[in-house]
Amino acid sequence: MRKALLALLYFLATAVALAFLTLPMLAIFVHVPPGRLIDQLSNPVVTDALIVSFKTTLIAQALVLLFGTPTAYLLASRRFPGRSLCITLVELPLVLPPAVAGIGLLAAFGRFGLLGSSLGSAGITLPFTQSAVTIAVAFVASPLYVRQAIAAFEAIDPNLVAASRTLGAGPARTFFRVVLPLARGGLLAGEALAFARGLGEFGATIMFAGSLQKVTQTLPLAIYAEFEVNFDVTLAISALLVLISAALLISLKLTSLWQPSEQTSRSRFAPLSSS
Amino acid sequence: MVTAGGAVARTDTHTSTRVTGITVYAAASLTGVFPKIDSGPKYSFGASSTLAAQITQGAPADVFASANTTIPAQLFAKGLVQKPVVFTRNRLVLVVPTSNPAGIHSVYDLKKPGVKLVIAAPAVPVGSYTLQVLRQMGLTSVLANVVSRESDVRSVLSKVALGEADAGFVYSTDAKTVPGKVRVFKIPAWAQPKVTYGMAIVSSSTNKAAAQRFIKEVLSKAGQKKMLAAGFLPIPKAKRGR
Repeated sequence: MRKALLALLYFLATAVALAFLTLPMLAIFVHVPPGRLIDQLSNPVVTDALIVSFKTTLIAQALVLLFGTPTAYLLASRRFPGRSLCITLVELPLVLPPAVAGIGLLAAFGRFGLLGSSLGSAGITLPFTQSAVTIAVAFVASPLYVRQAIAAFEAIDPNLVAASRTLGAGPARTFFRVVLPLARGGLLAGEALAFARGLGEFGATIMFAGSLQKVTQTLPLAIYAEFEVNFDVTLAISALLVLISAALLISLKLTSLWQPSEQTSRSRFAPLSSS
Repeated sequence: MVTAGGAVARTDTHTSTRVTGITVYAAASLTGVFPKIDSGPKYSFGASSTLAAQITQGAPADVFASANTTIPAQLFAKGLVQKPVVFTRNRLVLVVPTSNPAGIHSVYDLKKPGVKLVIAAPAVPVGSYTLQVLRQMGLTSVLANVVSRESDVRSVLSKVALGEADAGFVYSTDAKTVPGKVRVFKIPAWAQPKVTYGMAIVSSSTNKAAAQRFIKEVLSKAGQKKMLAAGFLPIPKAKRGR
């Protein structure tokens, strides 16, 4: 009797959780007939926001991968005094409210900011530019990637790395041919999270970069701007973002399925050693 | 003095009246002054257009106070609010940071290339007033210098006060809230738009009596005195009442 009751509670809790999580997303599509969604896709507000969002997110993610991967590898593989502090600093933007991140970016890179004044004399102003959006996106998204990357690199068996070095591969070759492929699952998961976070970034962007169509108005900023003007457009952009996020998640699942299998147990025909 | 209810109001000499149990959705420019008039209600300040959209979506407001009369009229036409009443007026001004990085001394200086002008989005009342001014002065080319369309008047003010923007258009009452951070330039009287604020009871309110009391308070002598002290302009005599 108790077992049945417990089972019922489990199912009930799951049902409530699933319903709660899927209802808002389904409701968007119920409100927007597919025909209207396609129509709105030709609205310049939507297309401009799409272009700004994608340009800034792609560049930001490239920067995150470029700088985040070596950072994560260093923090994962070396032990040095101050390591925990470094990891905390890298994770800090994660818990920062986005508006605070925006204020911080202004304080650092704004016209009268810490670095801003020196940048200004070099002729570089950041606020209100598309680069400001890229920086804001990179700032809020990188902790998500670096955290996952550290965990992924830490999970690698150090014996495999050592074996590779013993067999004569240099550090670079070991990293690209052994470490990266082994860590790939975790890195991809981290990058997916960072990408999604970057695409949805609002608070820091509106503070640091402002909002101007074609220049700094990303998809989330367009939602906010259109909310009081044209609710249809708002729904259309929201539906678009739901679809993009879903596509992202699904492609991540698919790539984790598609992995060259490590065939250590099945017999294979070995290539002829000399021909 | 005749108030919105058509009855004669007591001239309140004591200011300890508090209307509780209602939620007032008010324009961002009223952030400092409304709580001074009555600290009782729960306030939600923001761009009048955003608040109107929220009320249209069913947000639980009892009173809606907008920085123009167009938005309340639209909501009244849709039956979402009762008949709006004018409760104050304001003035649009040009603000620049105290350091005046772009050397702006008048609205005409905004034509200088490279000026970072921040205005509110056109749906926001102050944004639409700004466009009116620029059209009146034949300066719509200045719009090419706009670097950001903010979601409410206080965001425009912050960007200028922080020194990030070179110039912005806000209400004179907003400029007064950041003394020392901005320099204010007047707009020529012939170009000044009629900035009239309208207020109405929300139709879905469950406490219309208290909402009416709040409106009466704002329109009372004491309430209007506080508005004038904050820099708002008196209601023209003809408009008082309805």
